Amino acid sequence: MTGGAQSAANVRPRVHRAPTRTARLPAPLLLRGLAASCRQAWRAQFVFRAAIWSGIVGACLQVVLVFLVWRAVYGTRTEVADVDHANAITYAILGVLASIVFQPFVFDTLYGRLRTGAIAFDVMRPISAVPSALAQQVGASLAQLPAVLCALVIGLAIGAIEPPGTVASALAFAASLALGFTIVLILNFTVGLVGFWTLEVGGAFLIYRMLAQFSSGALIPLWFMPGGLRTALELLPFSAQVFTPLSIYLDRSPGVHTLQAIGGQLIWIVVLAALAALVWRRAVRRLVIFGG
Amino acid sequence: MILAEHLVKEFSRPARVDGPLGGLRSFLSTCRVATRAVDDISLRIDDGEIVGYLGPNGAGKSTTIKMLTGILVPTSGHVEVEGIVPWKDRRTNARNIGAVFGQRSQLWTDLPLRDSFELISRLYGLGRADYRRSLEEFVDLLEMGSFLDTPVRSLSLGQRMRGDIVAAMLYEPPVLYLDEPTVGLDVVAKVRIREFIAERNRERGTTVLLTTHDIADIEQLARRVVIIDEGRILYDGTIEALRRGYAPYRELVVRTPHEVPLDVAVDGIDVRASRRDGDEVLSTLRFDPVQLAPPTAISRVTDALPVLDITSREPDVEDIIRRIYLAGSVDA
Repeated sequence: MTGGAQSAANVRPRVHRAPTRTARLPAPLLLRGLAASCRQAWRAQFVFRAAIWSGIVGACLQVVLVFLVWRAVYGTRTEVADVDHANAITYAILGVLASIVFQPFVFDTLYGRLRTGAIAFDVMRPISAVPSALAQQVGASLAQLPAVLCALVIGLAIGAIEPPGTVASALAFAASLALGFTIVLILNFTVGLVGFWTLEVGGAFLIYRMLAQFSSGALIPLWFMPGGLRTALELLPFSAQVFTPLSIYLDRSPGVHTLQAIGGQLIWIVVLAALAALVWRRAVRRLVIFGG
Repeated sequence: MILAEHLVKEFSRPARVDGPLGGLRSFLSTCRVATRAVDDISLRIDDGEIVGYLGPNGAGKSTTIKMLTGILVPTSGHVEVEGIVPWKDRRTNARNIGAVFGQRSQLWTDLPLRDSFELISRLYGLGRADYRRSLEEFVDLLEMGSFLDTPVRSLSLGQRMRGDIVAAMLYEPPVLYLDEPTVGLDVVAKVRIREFIAERNRERGTTVLLTTHDIADIEQLARRVVIIDEGRILYDGTIEALRRGYAPYRELVVRTPHEVPLDVAVDGIDVRASRRDGDEVLSTLRFDPVQLAPPTAISRVTDALPVLDITSREPDVEDIIRRIYLAGSVDA
């Protein structure tokens, strides 16, 4: 009653058995693996055609609306809270664009994998789950660039975006923006890990996303916040995500304070990376002890 | 080679406190209760073997497999896969193993199946030429050409399972863990997957550890079975020895004309059951093949009765296994 498959399957093979690997992946292949993770997340953002268009239209619309609202807020005044009209609008629009890239709707790829149980596969890959999850976050963020570029063109066309304060400001801005993005990545990754404990975090993520956007100064520049709140927000890592780079962008006399601001971002990166490592270690411990 | 020595896995969870304010006291209590999911399992699976790993739900099969993949850290004992301790060096171990968990998928839901394969090939450092060759071969063997570009969420269960199996084997791991790879599949899909596994084992010497609740999977693929329950091994040996040891009989199903009396007696052969089937009588006879050679048994029956049809049947493995589960040990 047993078929031919059995007798054939149990003949001890003498032929070329697949080789056993005795070492981890070499570095160049590892980098290629990470690049593929990044591409994958990029592609996942373009799966639905409707989402691509709504992303582009949404970004352009946001730029126009923000422009109109801030122009109306200023009315005939040239300065509010020591911030002039053109700077405020430039800030608001760049803030919108930055937050589109920084906080894509699927900012945490681990969470979805956790819910389906696919995380079990991710922790048994030749590439550790952390770098590949970060690579996927980068991919998801990069996928927002087409929409952001369209919106940027619109912003420039309606004259809503001022050039940077000085050439030095522009260079410092680029560096600071990259650091700001790094802080976003680490922080979002860490928050995503909460799912290892609670499993249901969809609602909490929405709140986090909104708070992060608000506290980073992407919606309203921190200059306009009342004194106490402003001090509190400046002490949080969120302000280092968007407020710091944008302040540098507008700054007409960059100097030591610019370097200090960038130094502050670097300190945040070190602190948050340490925190992320700690939380990750505990999350994996949970996974390997309790089996996910 | 897969090697496990005195493998133990305990899970501990907070103890529940009954009585007044039980919920609050449970929350505050530091008492923990431990349950042993795997209790002193020793196992050695040689290169190129296919082993069926059987046990009722919750017996500890998946926990064992998770320790072999490196996802779970054993509480005690030694485990080694292709010379590597999985939980100590998860990333190297990952390159040597493929895993299919029938109940979950490693594929990316929204993307076409091909994209998942592409990413997996990169994550395992596969060269482009090797990847294309493997993919072509697998797509051919499992007839996947028609849905390679379909998003995973739109695939049928059988298609998705084939996708997961290819995902686990694309980088040609020498060891393959299959945890219920045929669960929920129709007969055609099951056969296709069994044939594929047998083919990989034959051609590439892939070591396979297979858990399933479908005994036909085991019968068609594995010669050796390991039966566990409550975290302990109840039986480790060939299917033939299992049959011989736990059901030392053969059955004959005999069809006779209806005028033959139902309580017919033949020397050395018992009548287990007999019933009328239209104009005929269908009887199940049982004999011990050690006492009575099967050809002799058949000729005795045909001499004694006006037989219309006769078939010989081996004892049902599923039945034997069910009895082992119920008894909770092999010597019962």
